[in-house]
Amino acid sequence: MEYFTFKADDRYWGIDAQFVHRVIERMPIARVPFVPACYLGLIYYRGELFDVVDAVNLLSGTTRSVNRKDARIVLLKWNQQKLALIPDEIIGLVWFDNIKGDGTVYSHKNLTVQIITPAAMWDLLSELSYGRSSKI
Amino acid sequence: MVDLQKYKKIFIAESGKYLKELDNFLIRVEHNPDNTALWKEIHGKIHSIKGMAKALSMNNITQLSHAMEDWCSLFQRETGKVEPGVIQLFFDGSKLLKFLVGRNDEISDPENRRWYADLVSSFRGHPSDLLKNAKYLKAGLKDDTSEKIDHIRVKYSLIEELLGYAQETLFLEKTLPPLSRESTALKSWIDHYTSMLKGLYFRLAQLRLMSVGDFSELFAVTIRNLARDHNKQVDFRIVGGDLQADIALLDRLREPFIHLIRNSIAHGIETAEERQSAGKTPMGLIQLEAGKVGENLCLKIRDDGRGISREAITRYLQNNRSMTDEQIAGLSDTEFFGTIFDTDFSSAAETSDIAGRGIGMNVVVQAIEYLSGTITIASQPDRGTEFLIRLPVSLSVVYTITFKIGHYMLSIPTANVESIDQMGSIGSFKKNELYDLGGRLGVRKDKEYSHIMNVMYPESKNSLTSGQNQIKFAVDTIIGNKAVMVLPVGELLAKTRAFGGVGIMENGDITMLLDPGSRLFDSFTDGETL
Repeated sequence: MEYFTFKADDRYWGIDAQFVHRVIERMPIARVPFVPACYLGLIYYRGELFDVVDAVNLLSGTTRSVNRKDARIVLLKWNQQKLALIPDEIIGLVWFDNIKGDGTVYSHKNLTVQIITPAAMWDLLSELSYGRSSKI
Repeated sequence: MVDLQKYKKIFIAESGKYLKELDNFLIRVEHNPDNTALWKEIHGKIHSIKGMAKALSMNNITQLSHAMEDWCSLFQRETGKVEPGVIQLFFDGSKLLKFLVGRNDEISDPENRRWYADLVSSFRGHPSDLLKNAKYLKAGLKDDTSEKIDHIRVKYSLIEELLGYAQETLFLEKTLPPLSRESTALKSWIDHYTSMLKGLYFRLAQLRLMSVGDFSELFAVTIRNLARDHNKQVDFRIVGGDLQADIALLDRLREPFIHLIRNSIAHGIETAEERQSAGKTPMGLIQLEAGKVGENLCLKIRDDGRGISREAITRYLQNNRSMTDEQIAGLSDTEFFGTIFDTDFSSAAETSDIAGRGIGMNVVVQAIEYLSGTITIASQPDRGTEFLIRLPVSLSVVYTITFKIGHYMLSIPTANVESIDQMGSIGSFKKNELYDLGGRLGVRKDKEYSHIMNVMYPESKNSLTSGQNQIKFAVDTIIGNKAVMVLPVGELLAKTRAFGGVGIMENGDITMLLDPGSRLFDSFTDGETL
């Protein structure tokens, strides 16, 4: 299967390519108060609102990305849900077929890639606390 | 020739508007035939149509409206001349005018032609002759397609696509390569081009909107006709008609509304005699009230009729649900009256004395639920019945005061803003009364605030009409009074319970709509629980 592979904080991640709606150039993100640190804001793209999330902060739990190589925004769509993700670096589409039980896979370059579903990311996001003042 | 065509188009659009207004005045004058002011308005509408038709040499319209005008003048001069049947004749006249406007003043069908001739000759006679030789339109006009002349059908998905393209084109501006100093002419051309694009985009977005008032007007004539059929007197009022909502949403409400209105007229509102003996005004009232509560569009349809029979519902609950008297007494009003929405209540009610009251109510509920809305019912004997429909607003445009605090672009509906004052105009002791919105947002204070916003909002979130609360806070910059499209906040941001929606401004920028009634403005700042 083909996976959309990206890098966030020195780790590699893969998302089933069918869930990637589009990859767009960086555009202004509207800041929103009362959100967790990984929630960067909102974008309005082609008549739709997307929550924009920092992949590093969400997936690694560390602070916001410091070594971002490209600022492109990945729009994900699945089950009538949608989310915009900003990874550190987009690797591209990679074919994996030997995914291990723990959801990891070795790519040809012998790097460990963690497979993740958009729904799982959404669950991570949903567990965070909303409504507190965001610290700026 | 080209100009004439253009003028004809304007004529059709304008006349459509006048005729709609004419119908509304006719509905009102029907109950106040001696109100000369209303006749003056009616005269004005007909006169406007005549004037334009004359300029276009549309003789049929000119003749008919001229004849109608004569009667208007008479009713303005002398009261007591409005014989029974006069108003019906005016409605027929209005219908024929509508027909003619839509058909470029042409009548080809012989039957239609006969009706036209009869009507004109009736108007040319004296109102007192009407009873002797009245000839009303018995059936509809043949090929009566003129009603929808100002609407065309467009696939909804096409509008969505257009919006997408318009936005994408707008974003191209952001990828504009740097221009050399010499190309100032080009630069200003591009600026102009972009501003035109923005205008286009915003107007496209409004294709999806319709005011609740326009929507409600669709029912005015239906109500009048139903009232006539049931021999009742009914006044129809619209409150909050300026509110705009997604056309697709409103279209889905058309059937349920007609159903509720039909029930109100047939079963709720009493005849004039019954009403008078019950100490009510002879004329019944149906009121449609629109309002926004939080993220919901609330539509209330209320009548001041006899209310719903508690006995019939009680009997149904006893017989079909085997409920005891105590159990029934334990039900809340909402639950109790909600029974009429049951699928099987309809059929059970058919044989009872409230036949028709519940018929098809479950269909109404299905339609509302399809829109992920809710419907509740309240009823009091002899006071009337009220249906409250709450719908999530998928899209609407509101005017907001948009301002900045720190990085945040925020908005409050203009209707809620009482005043905006310069920071300097307020004495220092008054600053203590200010709510620290900036602090609540977690914005570090690095510069002076510019303005104070004074916001009013309803005390209770669940009522359209209740007391008002007031809150004042300081903002960095006022952006202005902006029309924004409101989209619902997503699942994640809804958890903050601070926003009434996400606003898209004309230039595509995003602003968060603060919900003045939300916990954002509660004095405690823990933020953990509601």
